[in-house]
Amino acid sequence: MSKKIFIDFKRCIACKACEVACEVINGEAKIRVFEFPDLTSVAFNCRHCEKAPCMEVCPVNALSKDDDGAVVLDPLKCIGCLMCAVACPFGVPKLDEANKIMDKCALCAGRRAKGLLPACVSACPTEALKYGDINDVLWAREGKIVANLKSSAKRGKGENALLVL
Amino acid sequence: MAEKLVPVVCAWCSVGCRLYIVNDNGYPKKIEFDYDHPGIPNKGKLCPKGVASFQYLRHPDRLRKPLKRAGERGEGKFVEISWEEAIKEIAQKLKEIKEKYGPEALAFLGTERISVEANYVLQKLARALGTNNVEHPGRFCQSTVFFAKQKILGNPFLTNPFEDITKTKAILIWGYNPAATSPVFFGQYVERAVLDNGAKLIVVDPRKTETAKFADIHLQPYPGTDLAVALAMLNVIIKNELYDKDFIAERVEGFEELAKKVEQYTPQWAEKISGVPAELIEKAAITFATAGKGALLQQMGSTQHANGTLLHMALAALIVICGYVGKEGVMSGAIPGAYNAMGVSMMGVDCDMLPGRVSVEDEEEVKRIEEIWGFKIPRKPGLTYFRIIEAINEGKVKALYIVGVNPAKGAPNSAFVREALKKAEFIVVQDVFPNETAQYADIVLPAAAWYEQEGTIMSFERRVQRSFKAADPPGDAKPDWQIIVEVARALGLGEYFNYSSVDDILREINRTVPILAGATPERLKENIEGCIFPCPDEKTETTRLFLDGFMTPDGKAHLIPVDYEPPGEVPDEEYPFWLTNFTLVGQFRTGVRSFRSKSLEKRWPEPFVMINVSDAAKLGIKTGDLVNVETRRGSLTARAEVTPNIREGVIAMPWHWDFNYLTADVLDKYVEMPELKTAACRISKVEG
Ligand code: SF4
Ligand code: SF4
Ligand code: SF4
Repeated sequence: MSKKIFIDFKRCIACKACEVACEVINGEAKIRVFEFPDLTSVAFNCRHCEKAPCMEVCPVNALSKDDDGAVVLDPLKCIGCLMCAVACPFGVPKLDEANKIMDKCALCAGRRAKGLLPACVSACPTEALKYGDINDVLWAREGKIVANLKSSAKRGKGENALLVL
Repeated sequence: MAEKLVPVVCAWCSVGCRLYIVNDNGYPKKIEFDYDHPGIPNKGKLCPKGVASFQYLRHPDRLRKPLKRAGERGEGKFVEISWEEAIKEIAQKLKEIKEKYGPEALAFLGTERISVEANYVLQKLARALGTNNVEHPGRFCQSTVFFAKQKILGNPFLTNPFEDITKTKAILIWGYNPAATSPVFFGQYVERAVLDNGAKLIVVDPRKTETAKFADIHLQPYPGTDLAVALAMLNVIIKNELYDKDFIAERVEGFEELAKKVEQYTPQWAEKISGVPAELIEKAAITFATAGKGALLQQMGSTQHANGTLLHMALAALIVICGYVGKEGVMSGAIPGAYNAMGVSMMGVDCDMLPGRVSVEDEEEVKRIEEIWGFKIPRKPGLTYFRIIEAINEGKVKALYIVGVNPAKGAPNSAFVREALKKAEFIVVQDVFPNETAQYADIVLPAAAWYEQEGTIMSFERRVQRSFKAADPPGDAKPDWQIIVEVARALGLGEYFNYSSVDDILREINRTVPILAGATPERLKENIEGCIFPCPDEKTETTRLFLDGFMTPDGKAHLIPVDYEPPGEVPDEEYPFWLTNFTLVGQFRTGVRSFRSKSLEKRWPEPFVMINVSDAAKLGIKTGDLVNVETRRGSLTARAEVTPNIREGVIAMPWHWDFNYLTADVLDKYVEMPELKTAACRISKVEG
């Protein structure tokens, strides 16, 4: 089953706990929080795309998908050619300057193996970051929208219903 | 396996989040989240400070050996000495000074940064030496709200458990930005209430913050004029009869006087003073009062003013007349900044209060404690924090023993503080890092950091928790309680300090403070979630306060009507802007520890100056320009951030970098809280 990190940017408070958690656990932050002047903030990490362009262009097959659907890099195969970095539409893979190979979010493979949540998700105080199966997360969100619509309709506030997602 | 997980309570703010330190043969390797205890308030979550909280432990700057001053005071030149020498010298000097000038020439400063037990032994040492000159930085953070709520409700603490905020209908956040200062509390409780449960959020803050982003109503008064807004909200609620009549009839004294007093304070009047549109004040008052269940949260933005006590008397009246006390789904009370602020205050590290917040003038209670302690306690209140500094300057206080506080940087008008420190006869600084104050010390003692010692801590939810030893201290550093006990013994007070572990001390606290009798070492070790005080026995805890009455002698709330008073310093022609300060999510206080946490320092590296877009346009300032901010006390230079997120006429800066020398030493007349949150300033672009 494919599991992913979902980002609910409405809940994000730009606290960067996700960045610091990733750095503390993985040595380098592989998630970044982008802040805008109007106080909107978006935490952004690898999307672990279904059809991952990085995987497709890698000449030595250093990138592969694991059982949870995460795109992971095999450092022993990587030759640091930067093709994945060029292909990634989100600019995720970065060159590890010391080893001259690539480095990217592996959805905390080591933690998942131990049954733990990815570090950034574990930390996020607002639950702006959620980890789970796409269907479960979307169903839950849909269920919430319907519940809100129903309760708002009861209170005669149908037009405001979508505001409370 | 050499790696083990040790459960600790986070070492920064007062939410009381739990986590594990991964201990690798005594070395603090990293953290792990605690998702094993569903009853803990953070439910596994941590903010960036919590996640990075182990990083400063092995910083090369850590104090590892006792030091003795070698050069001039303030120069920062020291030589290493042994523990024996250090303790002997301290005992000798304290004794000498006491004999020569009397016990009033000694003063002690405790801290929110050390355990309940360490603070308890510190204040006990002061009292055993015959002085009540013992204080902690809470005087500069929460004393106004503590005093006002204690007077009116009989108890200043948070009234309800965190969970109750998700059941409330309106949240009024006053001079507080929980999204940055208590992110886990904000994310797990406040945000949930607003986004998931439809609670209305009203924020009072001159800045548009991450918290205000979620607000339905955002009031932006000039700093220190928010008392006008509070009085006008009372005016609206009373004029429109939106108060809880039954509650007032049954449980409140002084309503008539309050009603009469606030008659003159209309929203139109408040608009002129605070700059907040009258309709907005009216809307906020009506929204809050008609919600049915409401929560009031406030912090340093409201407390650190010369009119802070007056404001909190007005705010206490606001929640009382709305009936937002003594039931489920409401919340209010003091929210201190640092992790053990509740604990240090409960332990009586106060010039006029003993453990259990008993007044030193309460004859009966003092006698009861004297019986447990075995020595006489002085009855006269000691000097408050700022008066201690003044007394050093005047040569009245000769010796200062400082544990984990940094007055040379954190106190108001800190340039004056530094001058005063130079004049002391003897200063001991006990800390984890050589901070600015340590430069003035005669003896510097290396203390173990929080994760390097076992101890008890109280969060702002009134939750008492045990934190365990998760790493070895570097060098010869020792737990704070142990150092203080050694000093006490060297002073010949050994019979009163007969402890060999923190558990011994906590057991004595259980006896000394009846409402903590049930927070025994055994209970806290078995229950990682801790317990919420008052807990008079091991089976009880009190999650909600005032269910049956207030903690005043007659069980009623006694409202204190107040008049408007302006803040201590307001802008004029020469200094036309209001200067205020704020806290960054990734830094803490004066940065002694957070500047030395790699991941935090990288992301929150330097101060900046927030200035409103239209003010900046008039002065020709652009984002990134170097600007000079000047008050009557001094000036500093930093980069400008031109932003719509601050109201016109106000300049704001994070205060972690040297800031407090800019503020005036005007004091609140009830508790001597200095006006740290506002000053008049001017700002100009630095040429070239
Ligand atoms: S899943 Fe793990 S590696 Fe990826 S961004 Fe989050 S913390 Fe970093
Ligand atoms: S931890 Fe969560 S709230 Fe904080 S910046 Fe990251 S996504 Fe946003
Ligand atoms: S919210 Fe406070 S207690 Fe919790 S992790 Fe952050 S600093 Fe620590």
